[in-house]
Amino acid sequence: MKNKLLALTAALCLALSGCAVTESYTPTREVAFIAKSTNTEFWLSAFAGAEAAASEYNVNLTITGPEIEEDYETQNEMVRQAVENGAEAIVFSAVDFENNAAAIDEAAEKGVKIVAIDSSVDSQAVETYIGTDNFAAGQMSVHAALERTEGELKIGIVNYDIQSANGQQRQRGAVDVIENDPRTELVRVINTLAEAGEAKNDTVELLKQYPEINVLIAFNEPTSVGAAKAVEELGLSEKVFLVGFDSNVETVDGLQTGSVDALIVQNPYAMGYLGVESAYKILSGQGGSLEKVVDTSTKVVDRENLFTVDSQRALFAFDGFQTMAYCTKNGE
Amino acid sequence: MSGGVSRTGMKITTILVTMVVAVVAVILCCCILIFLSLYRSAMIRTAMTTGTQAVSQVSNTVANYMRDMNQAMSMVEWSMSESDSQQASLMGAFLIFRPDVVAVTSYTADGELVDCWSNGRSPLEDIYMNLSFNKELAEESEEGYISAPHVETIFEGYYPWVVTMTAPIATENNERWVSLDLSFSSISAYINNVSIGQRGYCFLMDSSGNIVYHPQQQLIYAGLKSEDTVTLMRKADGTYVEDTVIYSLNSVAESGWRVVGVSFVDELVNKNVAEMIRLSLIMGVFLLLTAILTSWLLSRLLSRPLRGLADAMESFETNADNFTYRSVGGTREVQELSGSFRHMVLHIQQLMTTVREEEINLRKTELKALQAQINPHFLYNTLDSIAWMCEQGKTGDAVNMVHALARLFRISISRGHELIPIELEIQHAESYLQIQKYRYKNQFSYRFEVDPQCVGYYCNKITLQPIIENAINHGLRLMVDEGLIVVRVFREGDDIIFRVTDNGVGMSPEQVKAVMERGPDSGTGIGIRNVNDRLKIYFGKEYGLTIESEVDVGTTVEIRMPMVKEGDGGEK
Repeated sequence: MKNKLLALTAALCLALSGCAVTESYTPTREVAFIAKSTNTEFWLSAFAGAEAAASEYNVNLTITGPEIEEDYETQNEMVRQAVENGAEAIVFSAVDFENNAAAIDEAAEKGVKIVAIDSSVDSQAVETYIGTDNFAAGQMSVHAALERTEGELKIGIVNYDIQSANGQQRQRGAVDVIENDPRTELVRVINTLAEAGEAKNDTVELLKQYPEINVLIAFNEPTSVGAAKAVEELGLSEKVFLVGFDSNVETVDGLQTGSVDALIVQNPYAMGYLGVESAYKILSGQGGSLEKVVDTSTKVVDRENLFTVDSQRALFAFDGFQTMAYCTKNGE
Repeated sequence: MSGGVSRTGMKITTILVTMVVAVVAVILCCCILIFLSLYRSAMIRTAMTTGTQAVSQVSNTVANYMRDMNQAMSMVEWSMSESDSQQASLMGAFLIFRPDVVAVTSYTADGELVDCWSNGRSPLEDIYMNLSFNKELAEESEEGYISAPHVETIFEGYYPWVVTMTAPIATENNERWVSLDLSFSSISAYINNVSIGQRGYCFLMDSSGNIVYHPQQQLIYAGLKSEDTVTLMRKADGTYVEDTVIYSLNSVAESGWRVVGVSFVDELVNKNVAEMIRLSLIMGVFLLLTAILTSWLLSRLLSRPLRGLADAMESFETNADNFTYRSVGGTREVQELSGSFRHMVLHIQQLMTTVREEEINLRKTELKALQAQINPHFLYNTLDSIAWMCEQGKTGDAVNMVHALARLFRISISRGHELIPIELEIQHAESYLQIQKYRYKNQFSYRFEVDPQCVGYYCNKITLQPIIENAINHGLRLMVDEGLIVVRVFREGDDIIFRVTDNGVGMSPEQVKAVMERGPDSGTGIGIRNVNDRLKIYFGKEYGLTIESEVDVGTTVEIRMPMVKEGDGGEK
């Protein structure tokens, strides 16, 4: 009897003391996010998404990216650096489909998990790709022009680095439609730098050289901005139907003034968010449930639907002030 | 618990340990279950309270913000009534004061933009679409309205998310409406920082279930997250616990907005409960182990002395004579038991001794009675012989006979002592032989061969006489020739041997057997069997009497006894 009483009291004592014990420790995961660039609104939005996922899943996120979108060597160096710094997973958007592969394979060999977003890399180590269906987006860009114009379309394409997987896929998608549609004709494809100034100059050159061009398609944010500026500068807003990619204040301005006629808006926030989320899932052993390819939504925005609720949400990052703060933090 | 009987009952240790463990386990399980359910409900209550508190705090802050907005609006309204120049400087100061005001715009009754004040920005000349004013809504509501969050669309290259507050004004100009575009930063920064638990958060929705602000707004816009605002919209203020989520709702004063707090049962409750289950299990195991240990120790405390007692009883059982009691320690009950056992052992041993002594005494008394008896025939025959001798005038022989008879009796009595010196025993035998020799008219002769070393030792009295009597009766009396009896006394090792040999007719084995078993019937009344018995009683089984006889050759009777000095090993 004494024994039982003793046990009972001990049980209660321990139970009560147990209340004071704090919750168990959840390990912080180290994830590196290596983007193509750190300057465009597209990437800032992706970073915001990545940060949101990082704080939700208790991930220590390091975001890096080269200054210009053609610098695969810097990216490779960043991959090596991330591995050295103890990253358990890398969320990666490849500048160069082929030339980034070796660095990624090397990282994967050291046990680092690889998640590709936006632009994939030629490596078996990529566990999942999250991004736009680029071929479809390319097709969409031509369809956008076809649906909103009449008559013959003389199309000029302003693409960026020829080594970039997603740019090439978009171009293939566009060419696929152009070749199969009697109304369209591909005049010229130029590859310029993914930087607004260069893109503008090259586009001006293109439009001067081929004045018959009445449809311009630019495949990412900087080239779209550049193309819009070129069209505006040459006063061709009426004549040239410009289809751009992604959301930027200047292209949104352009939509209102007429220099831009349609934007293929991707979902960079979702890419960033899902990229980090997938990395976390892989690291915490839930990688089995992941799809090999995750298609984030793509949307066509033109003057008609520019300020609908959905378009507002797609075009404008909600927390402008937060993104700014972020910018200065990663000011490289 | 007796030796040899197979033990079917369980050991006390097993019973005790099993019982205690079972009881402790059951009680422990009940306690843990009750405790966990109490703990869980307490945790849920805590989580609900946390949610309610967080939400009411947010709602107060938002209400303050709304009041602020209203104040700002009344300032704007007031400044609108001033003259144009005054108005510009007032607006300028106001905009510097309130950096969260993105733009102030005024509209005509037709919804035309009249004026726009903004900190360092001027509106587009050709506004494509102005989301800061909604004529239908403005006309519908008398007092003005607050819009859902939207993008500011009247500037070039500047698209912040704002909430518009529109109110009617009365001025001399044709301005009818004024709109205040407020950036959401202060409220959103505040709401972003509100956390309920680690992952819980608050969001703002309007009365029709549109999300006004959500910390993960972008996630919702990106289609990665959704809130079930339709269901929430219908609920009254309060806190609701659902399967995985706890919702807390609170209306913001002076507006249709409501604050919704979302916290996770998983994180706030289940995690703690899981932790508590883990702890409880550890504790339970620990307690069970303690219970096992305690009960084991307890049972040892109980059973070890009992075991000792049982062992003692067992050894007492097998050898009661030589058992020496050793007290068994332990609890008082066991000590009492042990004491009783000691009592019993002593009592039994005492009884046993008494019984044995009484048996021996009985035997001795019997023997003494027998010794005291003098065969009347023998006495009569002897006295008859003496009388005859007197008649014949053989007075010398008669005297010798009387002397011999007297010596025989004196030694027979010997003051009641059982053991007498061997010397006396020899004299006794010799007296008897003398008498018999007269009576049998010298039909036999006899001889003593006594080791002088032996005469000092003691032996039972009347040991030799029955044997000699037997030799005469069964050996010599029937003989035609002269018989001879030789009595020898000598040492063999530590023993003394009496050997009586005759050369009579001898006995068949049947006769030997009969002699060994025959009771007292002749002579001094003590038979050969009695001699044997007495030797065994006094000295032990290894001593006694043996008869070797051969028909027509003679008989040898041998008596073996230890060398006994006066007093030792004697009267028991």
